[in-house]
Amino acid sequence: MRIDRTHRTWLIASLIILSVASAIYLAYAQTSPSGPSGGSGIGLMFGVVGFLFMIFAGLLAARKKVPVWRLGRAQSWMRGHLWLGLLSLPIIFFHAGFRFGGLLTTVLMVLLIIVVASGIFGAVLQHYMPPVMTVRIPMETIFEQIDRVREQLVAEADAMVEEVCGPRNPPPPAPAGSKRGRAATMTTIATTTIPLCNFYNGEVRPFLQNESIQNPALAARAKAAAVFEGLRTLLPSDLHTIVHNLEELCEEERQFRRQIRYHHWLHGWLMLHVPLSLALLLLGCAHAIMALRY
Amino acid sequence: MARAKLTTKTLAQRIDLDYFKHPHPFRRARSILSIAIPVIALLWLGWYALGRNNRVYSAGKMSSAHAVLTAKCSSCHVKEANSFSAKATDRSCDTCHSAPFHHANQTFTPICASCHLEHRGHLRLAVTADITCTQCHADLHTVGAPTQFTAEITRFNGGHPEFAILRNRGSDPGTIKLNHLVHLKHDLRGPNGPVQMDCEDCHRTVRPPAGWRFGSPQAQDATIAQTGIPPSLDTGRAYMSPVTYAKHCIACHGLQFDGRFQESAPHDTAEVIHAFLVQKFQRYIPNHPAELRVLAPHRNIPQKPIPPDVRVLTPQEWVDLRVAESEELLWRKTCAQCHALRFATNATLPTVVKSNIPQRWFQHAVFNHDAHKFQQCVECHVGAPKSKETSDVLLPGIQTCEKCHRGGREAAESRCFECHTYHDWKNEKPVKGTFTLSASAIGN
Repeated sequence: MRIDRTHRTWLIASLIILSVASAIYLAYAQTSPSGPSGGSGIGLMFGVVGFLFMIFAGLLAARKKVPVWRLGRAQSWMRGHLWLGLLSLPIIFFHAGFRFGGLLTTVLMVLLIIVVASGIFGAVLQHYMPPVMTVRIPMETIFEQIDRVREQLVAEADAMVEEVCGPRNPPPPAPAGSKRGRAATMTTIATTTIPLCNFYNGEVRPFLQNESIQNPALAARAKAAAVFEGLRTLLPSDLHTIVHNLEELCEEERQFRRQIRYHHWLHGWLMLHVPLSLALLLLGCAHAIMALRY
Repeated sequence: MARAKLTTKTLAQRIDLDYFKHPHPFRRARSILSIAIPVIALLWLGWYALGRNNRVYSAGKMSSAHAVLTAKCSSCHVKEANSFSAKATDRSCDTCHSAPFHHANQTFTPICASCHLEHRGHLRLAVTADITCTQCHADLHTVGAPTQFTAEITRFNGGHPEFAILRNRGSDPGTIKLNHLVHLKHDLRGPNGPVQMDCEDCHRTVRPPAGWRFGSPQAQDATIAQTGIPPSLDTGRAYMSPVTYAKHCIACHGLQFDGRFQESAPHDTAEVIHAFLVQKFQRYIPNHPAELRVLAPHRNIPQKPIPPDVRVLTPQEWVDLRVAESEELLWRKTCAQCHALRFATNATLPTVVKSNIPQRWFQHAVFNHDAHKFQQCVECHVGAPKSKETSDVLLPGIQTCEKCHRGGREAAESRCFECHTYHDWKNEKPVKGTFTLSASAIGN
């Protein structure tokens, strides 16, 4: 989600809430004989408000599970998640008097800091990366379907190359009487297309087929262009179309690889953010119950 | 062969429309983590619950003094209805501590835990915030009689009045005639020649022990019997050893009373001295009977010489005469050099006015000389080298303290607790221990 003008209301509201909370905290911290404490009335108030903010932020996941419910727009939920989640950190700091306290509260504070920090990191990525991806990955596809599309690209490339190089897995040898004629045909094909066949089987196909294959010559667009240009000089002009097609397929593969890399950046932080958020809410409940009960 | 043109349609045809039914490993890993980590968190809490260990819910590290009780929450958090109460009650504190209340006429008594904040790490519990004091002293109200203290004290730097004795331009109540200027002058006549006296020759704490330069070898140091001092303060190091004749004066200020004796008179009451003198002369005269012959004062009349008038005294008459002469010397000169003596009309012996040397100037605060030993004495007691009168108050003013105790990170402590103690330790009561070593080691 981009942080744009539509966030202005949330930003202003968050600043007001933060200002009011800061003013209350400063007055409270300076006048409280025992100093700021989570167990005092105002400290508890900060704790309750901060925890409610966290719960609201956590409800975004639940809201996504039931998109058909009329519970406000998804974008509003996301904005609330962003801003109230961010506000929960200073409010909880006010609750704790900027101390980490005991074992459970220290764990909670560390979790909160990690969750908020990862959330900020994710928000920044979500703000800046989509436009970059639009420019740099015009062939972007659904992340989960990349392997499937990649298989299609390989099949397409195989079909093109087999037309001139023959099948990659030739049928079993023919009966003895027809052996010579068969061999003569293959030899004819091979002599004109050997550079293409060798280049495809040795370089292009492994590059298209397997993401883990690192091919410096094909991984960079400029180098790949030079390599393909060199290949063209070795081939008759009627094969240049195939070379061009293979070059396009390699470009698609490069974009898929870039998309995978960007996707890991764009969503990898959620591996930390989501599980730790759930743990935070769970342990926060335990802390709240124990604190309010005793 | 040219590739088919990539249109939205052709691109869409690449996609398996049921792809979302088969989660990607990336998403699956996130789901697994989203279940695993909260479950681990629950197991972690459950582990403590199974062990009936509530330390996980502790609000923070215990203070150094109470660290040994970390595993024994119930020491302070008394169990109520089989559960721990969040607040440590005063009753729990009183189990181990006798902490007398502040003043009988205070308007309210805060609970122990509101000033001595526990679970804040390895801190000294006696270190309390100024606000714990100023919540009353910033606008002091009392129950019953109006307060005799300054009613508005907000902090030490700028919010604290001058010390009472200086504020009221009081004088030293001591009656010993002491001239600091004379005692600190160069080439002062000492017992064995000229000396240069130093402050430490008379003013030093009891600990560490050391002999006194101008004192009797038999003179014993004694700490000041003070009340209202917190138990944590070592008075032997904090306060100056009381100035006494035996420790500080005897070497120079001998109490010779008669040329016949090298011995000094005792430094005691007039009655004791009188008895001493009588005894001395009574023992002397039997061995020197010739001294009973006493010449009358010579009368020198021109042109008419008169033979000397010789009288022979009885031993008692001689003793009375010598005692009277010695006492005249002592009462009028030797003793009177330092002491004030009162001569009642009907009494034969004077009374020595009580020396009344203040041992502790701040009756409502504590001061620790040991903590200030790195300073030269005259840095604070500026007036001492020039003082001529006993009545001079040589106590430094609050501005002197504020030179170091000025607040802030790069200054000495300036919070209230540094000098003042809330508890009236005069009313401290003995505490009977209730803990056992084995119980202290068991959790909860």
